[in-house]
Amino acid sequence: MISRFQIAYKNLLRKKTRTLLTLVGIMLSSWVLVSLLGFNRGYEQALNRDIDNMGYQLMVMAKGCPYEAATMMLQGGTGLRYIEQSMVDSIVDKPEVDKVTPILMQAFFDPNKGDGGGIAGYFGIDPATFPAMKPFFRFRQGGWFRDDEAFEAVMGYEAAELEQREVGDMILVPEKNVQLKVVGILERTGTQDDGTIFAPLKTLQKISGIDKITTIGIKVKKDADSAKLEAALYQLPDVQVVSFTQVKETIMKLISTARVMVLSIAIIALLIAMVGVVNTILMSVLERKQEIGILKTMGAMPGDIFRLVWTETLILCASGGVAGIGLAFLFARLSDILVRRILPYAPGGELVAIDMRIACLTLAVIVVVGLLSGIYPAWQAGRVRPLESIRSEG
Amino acid sequence: MRVKARFLVYVLFALLMLFSVAVVQAFAAVGCDLNDPDRDVARLFPDSTGYRTTYASIDKRGGEPLLRRVETRLGERFHGIYETIDVPYTIYAIYNGKRKVGYIHGVNQKGQFGGIQVFVALDMEGRIKSFYIQKMTSQWAKKLRGSRFGRQFTGLTLKDFEPYDPVTGKGSGKVAEIRNPAPEAETDFRAALRAVKKNLILMDEFVYATGEGKP
Repeated sequence: MISRFQIAYKNLLRKKTRTLLTLVGIMLSSWVLVSLLGFNRGYEQALNRDIDNMGYQLMVMAKGCPYEAATMMLQGGTGLRYIEQSMVDSIVDKPEVDKVTPILMQAFFDPNKGDGGGIAGYFGIDPATFPAMKPFFRFRQGGWFRDDEAFEAVMGYEAAELEQREVGDMILVPEKNVQLKVVGILERTGTQDDGTIFAPLKTLQKISGIDKITTIGIKVKKDADSAKLEAALYQLPDVQVVSFTQVKETIMKLISTARVMVLSIAIIALLIAMVGVVNTILMSVLERKQEIGILKTMGAMPGDIFRLVWTETLILCASGGVAGIGLAFLFARLSDILVRRILPYAPGGELVAIDMRIACLTLAVIVVVGLLSGIYPAWQAGRVRPLESIRSEG
Repeated sequence: MRVKARFLVYVLFALLMLFSVAVVQAFAAVGCDLNDPDRDVARLFPDSTGYRTTYASIDKRGGEPLLRRVETRLGERFHGIYETIDVPYTIYAIYNGKRKVGYIHGVNQKGQFGGIQVFVALDMEGRIKSFYIQKMTSQWAKKLRGSRFGRQFTGLTLKDFEPYDPVTGKGSGKVAEIRNPAPEAETDFRAALRAVKKNLILMDEFVYATGEGKP
């Protein structure tokens, strides 16, 4: 015996173009919805990963000093301010602190980069404490420095690619004309470390003629009160404290408005698609009024007709939803690239993270909203009067 | 209905192509672009009124056989890590009105202390109009980037560079006459010559030998 699904399916195939267009509408709206939900999840995950990849949750630096390599480059290294290295000792003893590492950022002017010259940035790091902060670093070639005063450098992948350096090659610190031997090249990390050149802290201090540092990276103990530590650090003279948890919260707040707007657009798209569903099913019911009348004269109850028409809605919404989710999975990488181009700040890693949970949730939303939209046409079909409909002109 | 279905398949296929291109671009090796194309094109080609940018790679233009041919013509194999088959080369086609008047093309080259970016401006016959080192890290970079050194390349063609051996640094004819303004920087001087030879070979393979070089 032919099932209700088969009848509903055959009914939908009667007007192929109309069904196809309705399907495309549902497909597009579910694609947008699932991608947005994936973005919602992916962005936060990627941001957390980026912050974890910093290796430390807090940074202490002199007031007004740029704490990011890009800012340092933009300012041409002129905005650098220094703190005493002894400050490390006063921080390391605090009970909330797990690990501490001193860093010296330096920017040197290279007149032979382009026409107007450019800036070459170096990070002086402590070989004893810095690698432990970045356990995820993997070396493409070589390894860390031989000793803490060696005239050696470790390069991020992109820095090495731009300078065409391999382990054993030399690099020249501009302005100072000091040569450093490349002893390690890192794998890509997707962070600013990819474009960084690391040298031992003491070596960079010697090259720059500075015995101070610019930054102290602090890793907080797992269950320690980070806010309490932050407050304590602010008691140190002339320092600013950057908490990456706060940075993350600020970024999330900044993008939350955009997220709400885009989500609203997705909901509007979904509603428009559902109006399309109502229109399609209602048209189909009106066109088949006589047929429904005949079914009723043959003994079909209003509930049977209701269920039959509702099944058509279910098939439309479920197939459109599944197709849209499939497209979202297929084009997740492309959506990622597009989002990355649009956003002013995009963390590394996967930005649009779609998983089965998001896919099922979207499908459920599409089907439920679709079935709700299908109630009216199905109810209209159920209350068709047999004799009136048979007498009416087709 | 069949026509519509076919249309949908085409749209889907086009989107898939776009997707694959975007993914490839996201992980491609680093190329060599002019820092400020508007300014640099006007300086290297004073009579130009506009330019058009195209991209080529050995990978897409001929794969392994092309790579072997380029290496044979160069007289040296490509250096593995950064000098690879998938490096995207940016070719600036230069126009005067609607007439194509030449090309600008740059390559990355390993230097003694860092990457060197060597550009040449070529006329429609492949003759060097001007030579430009965009980036070089060296104590003697000023001399090698100077106009006096650059002028020695003006008028030279790939034919002049053919006898030059980048391994030994020896050549004959016009290339042998090019003087190193900084004898202390012999490595970078040789690197610059190798970069120009590679640059001219690639332009010959990508543009002049294919007929694209015609105005």
